[in-house]
Amino acid sequence: MLRNYLKTAWRNLLKNKFYSLINIAGLTAGLAIGILILLWVQDELSFDSFHKQTKNIYRLELWGGTGASKQIWQSPVAPMGVLAKQQLPEVKDEVRLTGNYFFSLYKYQDKVFGNEKAIFADPSFFSVFDFPIIEGNASNPFASDNSVVITRKTAKKYFGDQNPLSKVIVADGNANFTVSGVINDFPANSSINCDMIMPMSFHIKKMYADNKVDLNSDFNNYSYDTYLLLKPGTSLKSLSAKLFKIHIGHKSDDTDADYLLLPLSKMHLYNADLTDKGIETVRIFIVIALLILVIACINYVNLSTARSMLRSKEISMRKIVGAAKAHLFMQFIVETALLFSIATILAFGLIYVLMPLFNQVSGKQLIFDLTDYHIWTVIFITITGTLAASSIYPALLLSSFEPLKALKGKISAGIGDIMFRKILVVTQFMFSVVLIIGTIVITGQLNYIRSKELGYDKSNVFSFWMRDMAKHYDAVKAELLKQPGVLDVTRSNQNIVRIGGISGDNDWDGKAPGQTFIVHPIAVDKDFISFFKMNLVKGAGFTGAITDTTHLILNEAAIKEIGMKNPIGKRFRMWKFKGTIIGVIKDFHFASMKEKIAPAVFYYYPQYLNTIYIKTTGQDAPKAIRAAQDQFKQYNGEYPFGYAFLDEIFNSLYQGEQREGTLFTYFATIAIFICSLGLLGLAAFTAQVRTREIGVRKVLGASVSGIVGLLAKDFIKLVLIAILIAVPVAWFSMNKWLQAFAYRINISWWVFLLAGSIAILIAFITISFQSVKAALSNPVNSLRSE
Amino acid sequence: MQEAKMIKITDLEKFYRTEEVETIALNKLSIEVKKGEFVAIMGPSGCGKSTLLNILGMLDDPDDGSYMFNGVEVAHYTERKRADLRKHNIGFVFQSFNLIDELTVFENVELPLIYTGVPSAERVKRVEEVLDKMQIMHRRNHYPQQLSGGQQQRVAIARAVVNKPKLILADEPTGNLDSSNGNDVMELLTDLNEQGTTIIMVTHSEHDARYSHRIIRLLDGQTVMENIMI
Repeated sequence: MLRNYLKTAWRNLLKNKFYSLINIAGLTAGLAIGILILLWVQDELSFDSFHKQTKNIYRLELWGGTGASKQIWQSPVAPMGVLAKQQLPEVKDEVRLTGNYFFSLYKYQDKVFGNEKAIFADPSFFSVFDFPIIEGNASNPFASDNSVVITRKTAKKYFGDQNPLSKVIVADGNANFTVSGVINDFPANSSINCDMIMPMSFHIKKMYADNKVDLNSDFNNYSYDTYLLLKPGTSLKSLSAKLFKIHIGHKSDDTDADYLLLPLSKMHLYNADLTDKGIETVRIFIVIALLILVIACINYVNLSTARSMLRSKEISMRKIVGAAKAHLFMQFIVETALLFSIATILAFGLIYVLMPLFNQVSGKQLIFDLTDYHIWTVIFITITGTLAASSIYPALLLSSFEPLKALKGKISAGIGDIMFRKILVVTQFMFSVVLIIGTIVITGQLNYIRSKELGYDKSNVFSFWMRDMAKHYDAVKAELLKQPGVLDVTRSNQNIVRIGGISGDNDWDGKAPGQTFIVHPIAVDKDFISFFKMNLVKGAGFTGAITDTTHLILNEAAIKEIGMKNPIGKRFRMWKFKGTIIGVIKDFHFASMKEKIAPAVFYYYPQYLNTIYIKTTGQDAPKAIRAAQDQFKQYNGEYPFGYAFLDEIFNSLYQGEQREGTLFTYFATIAIFICSLGLLGLAAFTAQVRTREIGVRKVLGASVSGIVGLLAKDFIKLVLIAILIAVPVAWFSMNKWLQAFAYRINISWWVFLLAGSIAILIAFITISFQSVKAALSNPVNSLRSE
Repeated sequence: MQEAKMIKITDLEKFYRTEEVETIALNKLSIEVKKGEFVAIMGPSGCGKSTLLNILGMLDDPDDGSYMFNGVEVAHYTERKRADLRKHNIGFVFQSFNLIDELTVFENVELPLIYTGVPSAERVKRVEEVLDKMQIMHRRNHYPQQLSGGQQQRVAIARAVVNKPKLILADEPTGNLDSSNGNDVMELLTDLNEQGTTIIMVTHSEHDARYSHRIIRLLDGQTVMENIMI
């Protein structure tokens, strides 16, 4: 039976090459793109879930501040993890991690490396997480404070095929680390990753060497990422309350500390308060994958139901000689399955071909390895889902033909049927138009960000961290200014494009009791404001005089938030810096456009200024860079020189959106391509069944353009309806997308006009192929074929 | 001895309705056909011949009246039950052959056996047997389009009889054939009848009708005359 089905299906496929090709091409493209997107989604959702104890590991974060200054601090006070483990029975273990700001150059014998990512961690890092020691002593990963655990890749890089254990890596020429363990490389879907792990005990010793407090009683230090391993079934709410109690017991001022427990498996896509940190994009991509698959399914359903009337004779005869409905139903399912098998195999090929491009655009490292069972979950779900969606309706329709009518050719493809197909075409085009509008809006927003006035001039400026060169800044600056490509030089303590640090420890004249205020401080040189062509709206800038260390310049947002009137001359304190406000700077963007411009304060503290900015010209940039490198090498010896243009850093703020935009363009193109394939098939079919009508009309004097218009009219009408439905849908969803940006474009009417025109134009070109062909054919041929 | 009745229809009615007109295709028609009979149904276009044949073949159901097939009332059988009865008891031969273009001669004839669940080896045997009988064996691997009309109709008859049906319904079986091929087909049907198969044939041809035992003449959905052939 199955053989007979397959045989018929195969012969049908060969007999109708044009339709088979359209169906296979559409399904192949749809399946390939659908599977690619869903593999991406699967990868995103799989982050950090490979640990055996994932379910019971939580990252400890907390809310701090009130009102507009309320925000999440991603690390708790330093002693919190240790205290929680000591005092709360539900906390089975804890791990603290922190980045490495001590070392940047590592040596083994004559090999020197500069780009290693090192972290400091508690030994529990290797038992709480699934990063087991594969060489070395698992029960005691760090033999001493100067031990280091490295990844397999790092071991290979440093020691080749030699045994890495007990080898000594020298950091910055002043600290020796003995390799005490090797772990596997971090999986690509691990949020935690690095090249080497050094013991937290080393970090604490160095940080607190000349300090009276130790880490475990330092309630002002928020720089240790803390993970807790909880007993299964722990109530997070009551644990959070207990953590607050411990916190407030040591630091009674922090009444606003509100502890959050972020599940490890959600760390990649959610913020600690479970707001979006990527899950929204994942959802959007799932929707796009579904849209593309649905569009491909619709093609199949439309073409197979439309053409079913041409097969009515076969179906009737099968019924008459004894086929039950179930037999026919199965036959069509098998037919669809055959077509799908071909499309699937081709789609696999296409995925192989597209994977490098997709990885490049999406910034992933996905590997399409068919021996990996994870991939098969996605493939299986996608294929069975689309197969079911595309086969059931046509199979039902075909198997329910009444044999007699079908035999006599009285199956008119039924009125309801045609309506159904029309609805499907409208749906397809609606999806495509939504995707086109999405593409235009995303591109528009990205252009807006790129061209928006930032409040400072970042063109042709590059910057880098000076290291030891900072001590000789004045000489360096003088030397650089002599170079032909260098226009100006200044410095600050962190990069203006992305000011990271915050201070919540502030005081000022007129502060209301209990008022909290979080501000971004940046230490700048006296010529910083003029270098970046920033605007002082009130007061004056720094002059470099010794008194400037007690002067502060606030931005407008800061003044507005603390509600200060006539700020010049008022007292302001931030940490230990007490001073007076001497100026107000016009707001400028020092973070992503997704965030509203936040309060910022400029202070003058030359010892802190370790980031240099060099303004050059487009043409002489290479000369300026070479000059900067020479200076850097002169003072920093072996340390690697790395610089970045502010434009690049700025663009990296929107890497996610940039990717989204590129992917959207691709997806919209694919969607409209698949739609067009379907339309091509339907137009061909219509021309075929209306052959006689076309012949008669031509005999009666219809022109070619008249015939093309006649055939195109019905389809264009459908596309127009699709556009009408798509506009509000797209407007609504893209507005929602834009809400993520504090600074955004308005979607104007021409976006819809443009998207609609694109859709109509593509539809018209597609239909014209077939219509012109039909209209040009000799009328006698069409009449004779009746 | 009383000959067993295969078919007994009583007061059968069938209407065709469009939005504006109602056409009576069968008007309280009553007919009996005995096992082993060869009956021809004649009449002008639109007299209800084909409608009758379709109802007899259980391809269509009547609006009113009774249809006893082998002593069982089938007038209101469900589609599934009719299909089941049909595939085990009735073979069809059409004017336009209605072979499936995508299947070879062999596969076309094999089809009814597949749907009745006959095992593969048995199928091959029976199909070859019947192709041999229809003298079309040498064409077994050809597709319908590669055959002449006469050959196609022989294949169609082979398909109709391969399941050894008790009843063959033929709708103008020679209508698309020249007279020589037409005569061959009529000989084949006569042979089948002589071997015990009941045959009901709709025809316009007085010549063909003469092969039958009895002619039923219809007009406006009613029997107007019955001729017994000697």
